[in-house]
Amino acid sequence: MADTNTIRILDGNTFVVSEDTGDIEATPTEPTGLFSIDTRFLSKWVLTVNGERLNALSYDDLQYYEARFFLVPGLATHYVDAKLSIIRERAVGGSFRERLTILNHDEKPVELEIRMDAASDFADLFEVKDEILNKKGEIYSQAEPDKLRLGYRRGNFKRETVISSSEPARYDRNGFAYSIRLEPNEQWDTAIDVQTFAVGPGGRDLRMGLRAHGGERSALQHDLEEWIRRAPKVNTEHVELGSTYRRSLIDLAALRFSPLSLGGQTLPAAGLPWFMTMFGRDSILTCLQVLPFTPDLSKTTLRVLGALQGTRFDDFREEDPGRILHEMRYGETAAFEEQPHSPYYGSVDATPLFVVLLDEYEKWTGDAALVKELEQECRAALRWMDTYADLLGNGYIWYERRNTDTGLENQCWKDSWDSISYADGTLPPFPRATCEVQGYAYDAKMRAARLAREFWGDPAYAEQLEREAAALKERFNRDWWVADHGYYALALDPDGRQCDVLSSNIGHLLWSGIVDDDRAGQIAEHLVGPRLWSGWGVRTLAEGEIRYNPIGYHNGTIWPFDNSFIAWGLRRYGFAEEAAQVASGILDAARYFDGRLPEAFGGYQRELTKFPVEYPTACSPQAWSTGTPLLLLRTMLGLEPHEGHLAVDPRLPIGMGRIEVLDIPGRWGRVDAFARGRLELDKLDG
Amino acid sequence: MVDATTRFFEEMDRRGYEPLLAKTAGTMRFDLHEGAHTTHWLLEIDRGKLRVRQQDQEADTVVGADPRLFGELVSGEENAIAALLRGDMTVTGDLRLVLQVERLFPGPPDSQGPHHAFREEAR
Repeated sequence: MADTNTIRILDGNTFVVSEDTGDIEATPTEPTGLFSIDTRFLSKWVLTVNGERLNALSYDDLQYYEARFFLVPGLATHYVDAKLSIIRERAVGGSFRERLTILNHDEKPVELEIRMDAASDFADLFEVKDEILNKKGEIYSQAEPDKLRLGYRRGNFKRETVISSSEPARYDRNGFAYSIRLEPNEQWDTAIDVQTFAVGPGGRDLRMGLRAHGGERSALQHDLEEWIRRAPKVNTEHVELGSTYRRSLIDLAALRFSPLSLGGQTLPAAGLPWFMTMFGRDSILTCLQVLPFTPDLSKTTLRVLGALQGTRFDDFREEDPGRILHEMRYGETAAFEEQPHSPYYGSVDATPLFVVLLDEYEKWTGDAALVKELEQECRAALRWMDTYADLLGNGYIWYERRNTDTGLENQCWKDSWDSISYADGTLPPFPRATCEVQGYAYDAKMRAARLAREFWGDPAYAEQLEREAAALKERFNRDWWVADHGYYALALDPDGRQCDVLSSNIGHLLWSGIVDDDRAGQIAEHLVGPRLWSGWGVRTLAEGEIRYNPIGYHNGTIWPFDNSFIAWGLRRYGFAEEAAQVASGILDAARYFDGRLPEAFGGYQRELTKFPVEYPTACSPQAWSTGTPLLLLRTMLGLEPHEGHLAVDPRLPIGMGRIEVLDIPGRWGRVDAFARGRLELDKLDG
Repeated sequence: MVDATTRFFEEMDRRGYEPLLAKTAGTMRFDLHEGAHTTHWLLEIDRGKLRVRQQDQEADTVVGADPRLFGELVSGEENAIAALLRGDMTVTGDLRLVLQVERLFPGPPDSQGPHHAFREEAR
């Protein structure tokens, strides 16, 4: 939500977005509501006392799953005379529960009519930003003596919201009400329970086992404490880094999502609230970022994505054998195939990244069993890269959507329609191949070679993969190098013509290792040079390009996650100072967002704005932004699993002071890492 | 004439082993309801080994569907996950088994797969 006055709480993929009074009145521009499994179950939830709306004195979002609102009747100017206080305390955890408390501060008794208007439009998450005029099914509302039932039916597709109250209420089709009398200083309260149902005829609720833990508040609290207790401790003289780390850990806990019956295992969803679902790319990249801190997320992610790996051709879902999924959704548009997310496979990077994550995961954890368990999935992923993805038969991964109605045009992380262009600003035809994906493919082959040799007992396959990787690297360095400017092209068009703009994607190439050693210096210079480096971070597209726009979604903004992989890449090629510069810029920016990095912020020069300008985006926290500070910590401390132990080679900027990371889990048990800032970063201000 | 459903299950039984299910174990019963009549298929999976019987017996997962819909699922004309989300196919028990077995259903008959420009030219 772009609007800062909205309050969000969630558990798994059930969440509530409301105004600061706790009220919900959904509109296309303010898509508030109670949501679960990609469906809105409440679009109206408005509390009145004696017919009057309430005003917020304050609210606390206590934890990610609970919030409290302090309210008084009447307009803002009447606050001081308020003789009544109303407290709404709410939590999600399976169902949505709200405790309503009303206190009479008057010397006289009061008669009160408390009413909650309740309704639902049962919008699919994909519809909430539109006027919802022509639902194909039927919306109904039934007042029963002890509950209000709101429902939606389209064929066998049925979703219901059932509202009940601990204090007896009068239910009607538009809500429920209480008539109460409060003596002086007396208080009244009631517990309202809102349950959501997605039940097929005679079947069980679709979400059985979807939640990560018990829905009770105490279970949620315990789970969060355990999560924090198990993660490494970060002690630092840099106060904000400590709080940023803690913020990230809590947000990661909130972003955990347990897809379809996994018995409590979780993987990171992409972002809150609109992307509380599995995304191949986002889940994998987030796992890579947080591996040194919470390795279990990787195990679940790999297993789930492996279990849903493509097995057949399906042009609507863009599924191929061996392809790793892009996005899974559970709402009406997926059910009726108005959207392809059941699941949708339209990305080309998730498949090589799947292999990359498995290798990186083993290096940290020593979990050879998982590497063996996923051998077939890995081989199928590698086959997909070489066959179905190589649309031109020239050894690169290409994309061209087969679902021309609802599929994605750009199937790389920069997935907006205008993200891939030539230097003259025009857009290339399809199929397209973007550079970073070729880097991931190279890395996947190199890493799979290690897995084949060490765990699958197949040295011949290992050699084959290494030969293919070497050939790919040579070919890539020939075809993608923009000799006039000394960097790699963003993409190739089907004729082999270069999209020769300067972009942040070249940083991912360093991370993948596909960059020739004698070119790495030029790449590093570009990344921290004036065209890409803003002072806060590396821009997605360089200043001076025709499509450059400091608030262009993929054409000039700065993405924290992008920068975290760039920093990792710089470190990989020995540019520790440049890596520290990127880390330092992004962590400085985090201070302006209370430690919670947004999806993206403006590419304006740091000197110009003095603070990072947030891109008006739909999602916060976003998983891979949340993972960013953790990967930056890893990069600055030079944490690297090496022959069974953890190597530490810190290169910190002076301003970071001393940093300790205690109890880093891995094949070594748990070890500590210590570092002190020594690097002088003269280029920091861009 | 043998219908698509029968062909699918007979083929599973004949195959005897399916590598995509090598990590899967459990029993699934498919209840195909047509009016008062229900046809049962029982699929036993033991780490990839398959056995099919036409029996009404307790199972880890029970899938319920109209026989016509099920015939369309096993011939790729309908998608099982979408049908599940729609409520046209119901599941009780372990949903994971459904998600694993569903992968053996073919893709839509009219799906072409990737457009390989170079292969088309070579033709």
